[in-house]
Amino acid sequence: MSHMNLSEPLIEFRNVVKSYKNVLALNNVSFSLNQGDIFGYIGPNGAGKSTTIKIMVGLIRDFSGTLLINGKNIKSSYLELFKILGYHPQEAGFHRWKTVYQALRTFGKLSKLEKRLLDSRIVEVLEFVNLKEVMNRKIIHLSGGMLQKLRLAQALLGEPEILVLDEPLTGLDPASRYQIKNLIKKLANSGKTILFSSHILSDVQDIATKIGILNLGNLVKVGRPSELQSEYHVRNRIQIEFDNDIDILDQLQNLNYIEQSENKSANVILISLKVEADLDESIHNLLQFLIDNKYKLRRFNLLTPSLEDVYLKLVQGENNEL
Amino acid sequence: MSYRVLFFDELKGFYKSKIMIILWIGMPALSILIHYLIPSTEGFPVSSLVAVLVSNISGMLSSAMISTSIANEKNNHVYDLILMRPVKRYNILLSKFCAVYLCLIIATVISLALGLIIDILTIGVPSQYFLEETFKSLTISLSAMAISCSIGTFFGVSISSIAAAAILSVYVGNQVSAIATLPVLFIESLNSVLIALLVAIPLTFTFLIISLVMFSKKQF
Ligand SMILES: Nc1ncnc2c1ncn2[C@@H]1O[C@H](COP(=O)(O)OP(=O)(O)OP(=O)(O)O)[C@@H](O)[C@H]1O
Ligand SMILES: [Mg+2]
Repeated sequence: MSHMNLSEPLIEFRNVVKSYKNVLALNNVSFSLNQGDIFGYIGPNGAGKSTTIKIMVGLIRDFSGTLLINGKNIKSSYLELFKILGYHPQEAGFHRWKTVYQALRTFGKLSKLEKRLLDSRIVEVLEFVNLKEVMNRKIIHLSGGMLQKLRLAQALLGEPEILVLDEPLTGLDPASRYQIKNLIKKLANSGKTILFSSHILSDVQDIATKIGILNLGNLVKVGRPSELQSEYHVRNRIQIEFDNDIDILDQLQNLNYIEQSENKSANVILISLKVEADLDESIHNLLQFLIDNKYKLRRFNLLTPSLEDVYLKLVQGENNEL
Repeated sequence: MSYRVLFFDELKGFYKSKIMIILWIGMPALSILIHYLIPSTEGFPVSSLVAVLVSNISGMLSSAMISTSIANEKNNHVYDLILMRPVKRYNILLSKFCAVYLCLIIATVISLALGLIIDILTIGVPSQYFLEETFKSLTISLSAMAISCSIGTFFGVSISSIAAAAILSVYVGNQVSAIATLPVLFIESLNSVLIALLVAIPLTFTFLIISLVMFSKKQF
């Protein structure tokens, strides 16, 4: 990997289709990643995230369509691929009688890493994932979160150019999540390309530079997080809490920037702004209107559309059509 | 290279799981025990008894061991992390087969050597004929066990239920390996060693090759 062509994508899926006996798991998936990208791959259970990932790491080889890595068709270059790829599987996968150190040592040997440097590299990756203190503990005695970190540690062992992580944050405590997210960001900054899957949208929003939303085998959306939110027409909403019970909905309906308003409770209303309305102007006008009419406000919250709204809209919309 | 890593890994795994201890100490102990508990075997050479026992019980034990170990590792996704490294798929199975088979060879040799010692102590220094018989037993046992192990490999690869893999490999392994050992019991004139080898070598290779092909086609 001495030379990487920056103008060409590092990873490119072209119309990839995969079906198991009677399940269409991936339906014409196409996307590409450049070096340094952090690709957040999200979708509901059974969407096909793990299937995509297993195709990337060579565990599933009978698929149709094309997957190019570094410009080369993956089907003719698996051995080359293994040298530049780290894989964090969603599920377990260790000889449980080994210690953490022994397991990593075997993986290092199988990856043909230099034996002389292996021990120091093992210590290094265990420090990265904060697992050094259990280095000599048997795998059968590890906690779920520790196992998860061990999966990440073995993926990092060979300093791969490409990291493919299937739900690396699942089952980690808040401090560990934070730490691993930072680690992923750091790796991307040093030029690694990372694809990770998750169910947790805030994680994706925090670290991904690119997001793909997969549903029922279809890649329904790919884009930068900010792009997704603004481009996808999710309405800004405002929640207002008043000092006392009010009856204001009829009046609000007359304001031209309001799409819809409803009572959440006797003294709380939720307003959806029109998509085309300018946000700042709408807020200004709304506040002005409330003050002019002498309403006593207790709380005024702007609910910006989160990735979750985009996600739910895309995913539930599709499911409802079925 | 990766074959060696995997092979020693398997040996260590069996050692840790105490299966090797059962094979190496339990089997010889059992055959000696039977020799002393059943008076009718007095005067009958222990070594042949041991050969039959060891080939039968340890063949069964190790075919169950291979099949459950493969099925278990398959179900626990142990292979996923090996297969995405530059490792030939057949090395994974071959290393397991060879590790178990090596353990069996050692167990058989220990058992036979022990039987021989008891024979020398009770019957006296064995004759040329008797040594030949012992050697025959050894060959036949190893042939039968090779078949059992290859059948264990086959069921480990093809079945995901661990219990089913164990039961089938023990039952089928036992039945099929009998093809190597039984004919000579009925037809005096047959050369038992030759028959055993003629049956065991092609059968073992066939089952192993089918397993390797199935494993290399498998989706993980
Ligand atoms: N080996 C298999 N045989 C048959 N169907 C399979 C197999 N593996 C996966 N599937 C099916 O393919 C679809 C996609 O599965 P996949 O594991 O890729 O989903 P996922 O997005 O990773 O889900 P999760 O979030 O639950 O991990 C599912 O409907 C699943 O049932
Ligand atoms: Mg998955």
